[in-house]
Amino acid sequence: MKDSKKLYLAALVPFALIALLFELLPVAATVVRSFTAEGGGLTLGHYAAVFGKRLYRTALVNSLWVSILSSLIGLFVAFWGAKAYKSAGSKLRNLFLSVLNMTSNFSGIPLAFSYIILFGNVGVMVMFGKNHGIDALASFNIYSIWGLLLCYVYFQIPLATLLLIPAFDGLKKEWREAVALLGGGEAVYWFKVGLPNLLPSILGTFSVLFANAVAAYATAYALMQNNFALLPIKISEQFIGDVVQRREFGSALAVVLMLLMTATIWINDKILKMRTKKAK
Amino acid sequence: MKSKTGGKFAIIVITAYLLLPLFLTLVYSLFTEWMDVLPEGFTLRYYAEIFGDRIFWASLARTVVISFIPVVITAAVLLLAMYAVALYMPALDKYLQIICTIPYAIQGIILPVSVLSLYAGAPWPFSNRIVMLVLTYCVVILPYMYQGIKNSLVSVDALRLVEAAEMLGADKFYAFFRIIVPCMLSGVVIASMLSIALIFGDFVIVNTIGGSYYSTAQMYLLKKMFISGQLTSAVIMVLFVVTLLISAAVFCFKSKAETSAGEVKK
Repeated sequence: MKDSKKLYLAALVPFALIALLFELLPVAATVVRSFTAEGGGLTLGHYAAVFGKRLYRTALVNSLWVSILSSLIGLFVAFWGAKAYKSAGSKLRNLFLSVLNMTSNFSGIPLAFSYIILFGNVGVMVMFGKNHGIDALASFNIYSIWGLLLCYVYFQIPLATLLLIPAFDGLKKEWREAVALLGGGEAVYWFKVGLPNLLPSILGTFSVLFANAVAAYATAYALMQNNFALLPIKISEQFIGDVVQRREFGSALAVVLMLLMTATIWINDKILKMRTKKAK
Repeated sequence: MKSKTGGKFAIIVITAYLLLPLFLTLVYSLFTEWMDVLPEGFTLRYYAEIFGDRIFWASLARTVVISFIPVVITAAVLLLAMYAVALYMPALDKYLQIICTIPYAIQGIILPVSVLSLYAGAPWPFSNRIVMLVLTYCVVILPYMYQGIKNSLVSVDALRLVEAAEMLGADKFYAFFRIIVPCMLSGVVIASMLSIALIFGDFVIVNTIGGSYYSTAQMYLLKKMFISGQLTSAVIMVLFVVTLLISAAVFCFKSKAETSAGEVKK
């Protein structure tokens, strides 16, 4: 009996070691380092700099802007996609599902590059716009926050649709019939029954999309290297690369990003819990 | 009827929008010039150039190796931990779940810079970049591996199976690893393949920790981006096909597992 007790405790050791050494300890060290002055001693100065210096405030605002907007647009498109999926025939369904699965792998450097082919300085769309006098295409600048938004929206759509499709299974046919019997049309059904029922899934999907976008690094890096004020890029700059490294300050930036993501998950969790309590 | 045609239209528009960049990248990799509506000068020489480049093969091999090793380690380590928690200390499952969810909140740039700055000056083996890289990947895939294993543990009704095995004279360790784990195999394999695809497409972690020590296909891709557009497109297509093959394998495995599960239930 005693031996088997030792045996199962031993089974936990490898997991505990990896989680401790490569998850908990590094994160704890980063939090501690973010409060450490460069010469040693405690300080809040790094946080003051994050919110006080214009460059880093811009990075934070840019990150929030592009993440929130791309998540909202992605959700909007995904809503129509998932709704259409529900009413489509099985052949179209399978096609749509495989395209979503396939393109959800298309992100990061490959995605940024294919948008450079499309909208870069000599991109296909830009040349097409120049040759045919379409100014909006000819003057579009992919190396800007709008270009970044375009790329982010692309990787949000398949992910959002894949996450929303199962939620539509929860909508019962009878509800629509009941609304129709009571004299309500399509709009009444969606605003009074459909959307309120989908709300937890929509919020949950939004939280996944937001976390996905706010942490994304590769797409922005491939597009503009370090020449853009975005939180993940500014963090990476403090640890690797040619600029003078300031790990303590970088740690404070990383903690801010970590808090953003934790808050998103926490809020989503709270809303879900409130909802299940209400249902009970 | 109206909403049905509207739905069809929505699906076709989204599909076209999603496939367009991929299709254009493919076309770009096959032609020498593209300045107006139609590209000119069909060629396969960019693909020939990549396939003839030994550095490409070496980076691809490094990517494959680094995608598999962490997944195998995490699967083994998690199965052991699940064995202890599910059978002996179910109260600990809550903490196991929390530890396995945290990587989700520190995804992207946060974990690799944290690991790098903690261990860069540490003694061997921690300071070894490959060790750092492998173990960071192990942590990154924890949420997916945990969920996959946990779901299959529930769906095979592990606790009752173990009880039954014990009544027949097997001990818990034997019951778990010789009876439960083979039953969960399909779930574990699916979670593993998803994790492999995730690592395969990673750039931020390998660029932060691996740097010049361990150059993968993604970094090869970035280098080519500053040299030739057509060559880059060709590399993208090759890597994309490899990712597709991984997802196709997951898909086949999934449907196979589902049909065999259905047969058992019948």
